[in-house]
Amino acid sequence: MKSIYYKEWIKIKRVFSASLVLGILALSFIFIKVRHDILFSDAAGYWYSFLFRGSPYYTLLRFLPLVTGLGIAIAQYFPETVDKRIKLTFHLPVRENEILIRMHFFGAASLTALFVLFYTIFITGSSIFFPSDIIVPALISITPWFLGGLATYFMVALILLEPVLLYRVLFGIVGAGFVSFFSLRAGIGGYKPILITLSALTILVSVVILFSGYRFRKGEM
Amino acid sequence: MVKISRYILILIGILVAAVAIPKLYWTIFEKVPVTTTIFYSCTLNDFLILGSEKTGPGGRIDPKGNKYNTAEYEKNMPLMFFRQLMTDGKMPDSINGVKMEPSYINRSNSFFKYTPKKLMAPVPTLYPLIESQSGRVALTMPEDYFRIAGRMEFIVAKTNKTDEEKSVLFTKALTEKGFVFPAGIIAGMPTTKKTKDEGYFVTDSQGSLFHIKMKKSQPYVAKIETPENFGIEYIECVDLKTSEYYCFLITKSNGVYVVMDEVYDLQRFPVENFDPYTQSLKINCDIFNKCATVIGDNWLKATAMDDSYNVIKTYEESWTGKYDRADGKILASLIPFQISLSSPDTEFVSFYFFKSPGYFWIISNLLMTCLAAFIIIRKDRKLKDNIIDLLFTAITGVYGCIAIFIFPNRFK
Repeated sequence: MKSIYYKEWIKIKRVFSASLVLGILALSFIFIKVRHDILFSDAAGYWYSFLFRGSPYYTLLRFLPLVTGLGIAIAQYFPETVDKRIKLTFHLPVRENEILIRMHFFGAASLTALFVLFYTIFITGSSIFFPSDIIVPALISITPWFLGGLATYFMVALILLEPVLLYRVLFGIVGAGFVSFFSLRAGIGGYKPILITLSALTILVSVVILFSGYRFRKGEM
Repeated sequence: MVKISRYILILIGILVAAVAIPKLYWTIFEKVPVTTTIFYSCTLNDFLILGSEKTGPGGRIDPKGNKYNTAEYEKNMPLMFFRQLMTDGKMPDSINGVKMEPSYINRSNSFFKYTPKKLMAPVPTLYPLIESQSGRVALTMPEDYFRIAGRMEFIVAKTNKTDEEKSVLFTKALTEKGFVFPAGIIAGMPTTKKTKDEGYFVTDSQGSLFHIKMKKSQPYVAKIETPENFGIEYIECVDLKTSEYYCFLITKSNGVYVVMDEVYDLQRFPVENFDPYTQSLKINCDIFNKCATVIGDNWLKATAMDDSYNVIKTYEESWTGKYDRADGKILASLIPFQISLSSPDTEFVSFYFFKSPGYFWIISNLLMTCLAAFIIIRKDRKLKDNIIDLLFTAITGVYGCIAIFIFPNRFK
């Protein structure tokens, strides 16, 4: 099984590293800018913009999780669809779904690890400049973006493994609609009532790749 | 597990369709509704209605049915259009024996608007406490922000550290007046663009109401007497040039009050059964009258008062509701429900479920179920292997029918 994880790591390592660098650069830029703005205007005014004008300091993060999820899903599953290589995996002498589940687990775990790191940097950086009264609403606002990054990974994996082009398009429409729920325009902290539901839905869609895997194995044309 | 993964996808498909299809329908087919606005005329001593189903958009009418053109409308709303009337030389020198001075008219005019979105929105937990008596002409923003949790705590923005001395001083002042921490509602006007600063109106954990401000760097705290079980739901401070009252209060028992300036007396507005979660409220005030209008889904009720809050006239009007119009009826007969991530009544994002009124959608659901069964049979598949799919369609209608074929059943 270690060899499966190693194979997956080889596939995603470039995208993973690029996402890591991109994320750290984005977060560094966010806090360099916060420091600059606070120094050159004033801290009280900066807080005021966040609290009463709804100007967040973290908008740069909005599409980062989505791009990361998309990148890792493509790096992991696109090579499997070239010449239908995943068929070789399905012919290995293990239970039909086990390898697919392990592949998927590896991708999701890598993505989660990246997101946890980004979250930690975000909280650490924010706590230098802001009190919890600003950090908590900020976290409520960025959490759906990160959940959306995971949902993107799960839905893109489903789409890429789907063997029939028409259904890829249809899955794509549903996937795009679903992922859009995570990044609607809302006031700071506006996502609070829906966070648990979105988390539950994200956990539920983590297994939908089995559907494409099944269709692939059964030779849907 | 594979079967479960398909059902999860069907649920996601139904959710996406229930959001997207009604949204697309309304974007294409929704008719522009007529927005009705109502004012009280001090010259007619009656209401003037702007835009209604009787007049169409922009039409002006009074409750007796008399129609008014722009010039007549402005002439009968002299306190609203006094600048235009003065420019045209048509402004009367006095009305009801009161001499018309522009500064007096301007000072007495005020407008307050409440919508449920104000109540159901994320609120900050940090506020700036502006110095009320700095001796300076202009108000200035402080360098720190306060929160009222376990105590009243001031955090200096520049250092992100607590100002212990100031925090202890204000906490002590609040405790001495009987404030029980933490705060419930904190309402103020955190801006320097106002005529004067009156600090904040705050409820404590017991629901008691307090007025907190800072005068010459010292705390000013006053406890405001309220009836037992008053249950304040919402507070909005206003900056009236007349200094008649500090703020509006809306209570659990659906009462609308104002807190009178300096004396802290509560004055109830004669607005009955106002539901702050679903209804809007507009209050127009001028030298002679106050006009409070409660607006529901497809109705409004206006109450005109004299300067002492005594009711002098009321007016009610309703119009065709969204689902009584052809566009709404068609949609309600096609879909069993719709889901939206936003609502006109709240700033929060959530899955807002709205069941279609009436029962025509049941026929649509049955038709969709028959269509699904027909397609399944045409594809040489057994109905007994697709019972759950048909159940999805029977319950969710067109959404389910779309979802089960986007994620087709190949299980035996």
